[in-house]
Amino acid sequence: MSLVNYAAREITCKIVYYGPGRSGKTSNLHYVYNQVPGDRRGSMVSLATQTDRTLFFDFLPLDLGSISGFTTRLQLYTVPGQVYYATTRKLVLQGADGVVFVADSQRRQIDENVESMQDLHANLAEQGVDARNVPLVIQYNKQDLPRELTMDVPELDDVLNFRGVPFHAGDALRGTGVFETLRSISELVLRRLSGAAAPRVAVGQ
Amino acid sequence: MKFINDSRVRIAVLLESSGRVLAQHGFTRSIDVMSACALAAAIHASAAEIGRQLDGTPFTTLHHPGHERQIFLGELSTGRGAHILLTVFDDATSIGLVRLYFAELSRRLAVATTTPAAPPSFVDFESDLNRNLAKLFGRI
Repeated sequence: MSLVNYAAREITCKIVYYGPGRSGKTSNLHYVYNQVPGDRRGSMVSLATQTDRTLFFDFLPLDLGSISGFTTRLQLYTVPGQVYYATTRKLVLQGADGVVFVADSQRRQIDENVESMQDLHANLAEQGVDARNVPLVIQYNKQDLPRELTMDVPELDDVLNFRGVPFHAGDALRGTGVFETLRSISELVLRRLSGAAAPRVAVGQ
Repeated sequence: MKFINDSRVRIAVLLESSGRVLAQHGFTRSIDVMSACALAAAIHASAAEIGRQLDGTPFTTLHHPGHERQIFLGELSTGRGAHILLTVFDDATSIGLVRLYFAELSRRLAVATTTPAAPPSFVDFESDLNRNLAKLFGRI
């Protein structure tokens, strides 16, 4: 659950971008980083390999502004998508307030999408979290690719969106759907917090 | 503050294992604290996991000496679960002293209790949320 610091009147929410390797998670963060005014975001931290594949995570802090008198911050993380980084994915997912699942719309990637969605649910369950209670938004990325290579959104939604969560078509490299996705997950996380009975409390400063 | 004064560290940050900041001393920009905490949580989680896999138990402390500054990371058990303390220090102190006062802080926190605060009252939540989302992401 989101961290509420009453002494400093701050709310911090952790949002994790999940999905198979090369689906566009880091591209989402790069686009956000390049578009958001400098005074509203921190440095983007990327722990990547020499070929720019995410090794551990990418991290981007955003300042959303004041909500009900609380300075509200979003912390965006990506996980490494490759199957063999299972352990680091679990570590990054720990304490997530919301998840954006970035699916690769290419027809040949559908098995990887399904496997990654199952992996997400398995990791949440392992952490004792009921996946149905975690705010989730799906982005069907790479919809800009030629039609013969991709599945369309309703087709992908049939396979992946069994919870009926909000979804967006995306082209993360050019920014299509990036802000819509981030806005959706931010709303879900903060609305959940506003309706929550007892948010976790920071020990103060 | 007692830990900072006694141990003479330059920077100290208390964070959750998920990387969120709980309290800090020594940073001047909140945004820098968040990046440092994200990395500290990652280092701590990796060290704990590699300890679990290779030694059977998680490693809970870590020390990196640099040229002029050193970092010490340690896990603290509190009534609200495990937290992480990240400290940065220079030649005004030593790793031995930092470890000593960290152990003392750990003992004090283990018996400290906190009173849960009332949930925040979200007056003007909808209008604030919509205004800030529109400002940050544009009117979509």
